[in-house]
Amino acid sequence: MTKRAVVAVMLTVAVGVVSLGAQHTLAAKFDVTKPLTLTGTVTQIDWANPYVHILMKVPGQPLPALWAVEVEGPIVLTDNGWSQASLPIGETIRVEGYAARDGSRQISGRSVVMTSTNKPVYVGTNGTPKARRVATGPTPRWPSGQPRLGPPPGETGYWGYPTRGGLLEDGVNVQMDRYGLLNNVADASKVAPMQPWALSLYRERQRTFLQRDPMYLWCKPPGGPRQFQQPYGFQFVEQPDFKRVFVLMGSANRNRRIIYTDGRKQVGQVNGNDDNPVFYGQAVARWEGDTFVVDTRSFNEEFWFDNGGLPHTEQLHLIERFTRTDMGTMRYEVTIDDPGAYTRAWKSTWNLNWVPGEETPYFLCMDNRP
Amino acid sequence: MRGPFTLAACLTFAVATTSGAFAQDAGAGQGRAAGAGGQGRAAGAGGQGRAGGQGRGQGRGAAAPSAPTPRWPDGKPILGSVPGQSVGGWGAGVTTLPQGQLDKIPFQPWARAAYDIRQIDQFEPHTRCKASGVSRQFSTPYGTEFVEVPDLKRMYIMDNGGPNSYRIIYLDGRSFPQNIPLTNYGYSIGHWEGDTLVIETRGLNEKFWLDTRGTPHTSQLKFTERLTRTDMNTMRYQATIDDPGAYTAPWTTADFNLRWRPGDELFEYICQQYNEGPTLMLGSQEEIDNTRFFVP
Repeated sequence: MTKRAVVAVMLTVAVGVVSLGAQHTLAAKFDVTKPLTLTGTVTQIDWANPYVHILMKVPGQPLPALWAVEVEGPIVLTDNGWSQASLPIGETIRVEGYAARDGSRQISGRSVVMTSTNKPVYVGTNGTPKARRVATGPTPRWPSGQPRLGPPPGETGYWGYPTRGGLLEDGVNVQMDRYGLLNNVADASKVAPMQPWALSLYRERQRTFLQRDPMYLWCKPPGGPRQFQQPYGFQFVEQPDFKRVFVLMGSANRNRRIIYTDGRKQVGQVNGNDDNPVFYGQAVARWEGDTFVVDTRSFNEEFWFDNGGLPHTEQLHLIERFTRTDMGTMRYEVTIDDPGAYTRAWKSTWNLNWVPGEETPYFLCMDNRP
Repeated sequence: MRGPFTLAACLTFAVATTSGAFAQDAGAGQGRAAGAGGQGRAAGAGGQGRAGGQGRGQGRGAAAPSAPTPRWPDGKPILGSVPGQSVGGWGAGVTTLPQGQLDKIPFQPWARAAYDIRQIDQFEPHTRCKASGVSRQFSTPYGTEFVEVPDLKRMYIMDNGGPNSYRIIYLDGRSFPQNIPLTNYGYSIGHWEGDTLVIETRGLNEKFWLDTRGTPHTSQLKFTERLTRTDMNTMRYQATIDDPGAYTAPWTTADFNLRWRPGDELFEYICQQYNEGPTLMLGSQEEIDNTRFFVP
């Protein structure tokens, strides 16, 4: 390939406020039927992933109570011009939001206003939000002509902004939010060809607003297609010398997954098949024309392989097809074959967008854990 | 638990239950040997949690003569695996940064007190699946891999223990940006001084320990690491700690040696998988602890 082909044109276009939720759908933790307004004094800011919390003292009898106000995560807040210093300790704030489902003293910060200035803080934007950059140009390639899954030499960037938040069989028209929560639980049976037990489990997970998600509760990895549904994206790092490709995630716990292209079998690296099953499975891959085809098995059942909570079993077998159609676009097509949970193999397809010139945001799910 | 992990895991468990600490780090067992009737020491001596050298890679017997330092075509040392050969990794080699020279370390009084308390209360963040930055990466069981990506002018250091994550070292000559967000791995840039890669790191948060023994630091820390692959099988490691928040002067560690383990591949190790100590984590698998403020 010519040098011109690998030097892609980068465009910077503002496409609005960067607002990606960090980890869970609001309804998982808060009850939108229970609005709440509180006024209190800020005692501490816990500036940590996945969500920043403001601790505030709310006057009361016989004693004041300490409340936690959940706002967006540090990445979204920073992109929108906020910093930890935006809200000084000791300020009085008025918070409107929703009460926590479990009755604990937590409130979602839908509106947070400093009473001294009557200005909002940590909600919306402060000054000029960071513009989202978009890449254009042809697919970058290796000297061999094979597409590059990652950045051109000397550059950086990552894949983010997935066009779909939850798994959904291709051709099915069902509405869900970017966390995979269905607008209408009655649509559950249309989402994928589930076996009856899987459908009831999926319905239950949806009915409980995805709040039992092992990634959200315990920072367990998002294996399978779910790693490509995450807001903070991932990087591909290709190492042709060692016949492997790393998927380095920006979300969840900033995990890594290794895909081998050296012709090995899908067994563990340490003790062969005794190592299986694992969260990210054992992945081997080959190129079919311009498409990188990844074959993965040996998944455990300790995680959700979909934001929306579609179930899987240890029989899960994935064929993932990555096609970089141009500099800025990766088509991801996954075939899900799990005779333990589904009545037939089925397919789901979405796109990922290249974010040029940037590293995956630094996100560790364990950040605000004890 | 499976294969070679089994023994280490059992030993670790014995150590953990005896000391009351929750261990996912068998290396830390060395320090708790007395409490566990010497079992912890056995685990540690076996190579940082890999029981008795039965695992992959070389045993830890007499060192065979080593090949010379491998080099890239431009003459720079290769710090990780050599193209054309099988992938390998570095065994854990950094134990405790003060190396028994506690009285020579310019601790501020609070930092010395913190260090002393941590000898008793070994509540290390690493055992709660927090990512371990800088020097602590090199004392994590199962070692590290250096993933060099020359055409992107960067290197990744991936430790096999912990939360299955990665640290980036920029080698493109950049300088530190303004307002680096504080993180467990910090922001690392490297440059070559002869055959030594000098890695400087800023923007480290206080949510991890610099070593398994609890050498303290603050977010003012400027951490400098000097890595020299003296031959194929040896990586010399030295660190300088410049932290006016915790020390009265910068200080430099003794040299540590990491040993090359050919054939040692990264494998999936998810700290969160069996780490269910209900008082240390978010709650056990069976119940969610709603007494905590923030999560879930």
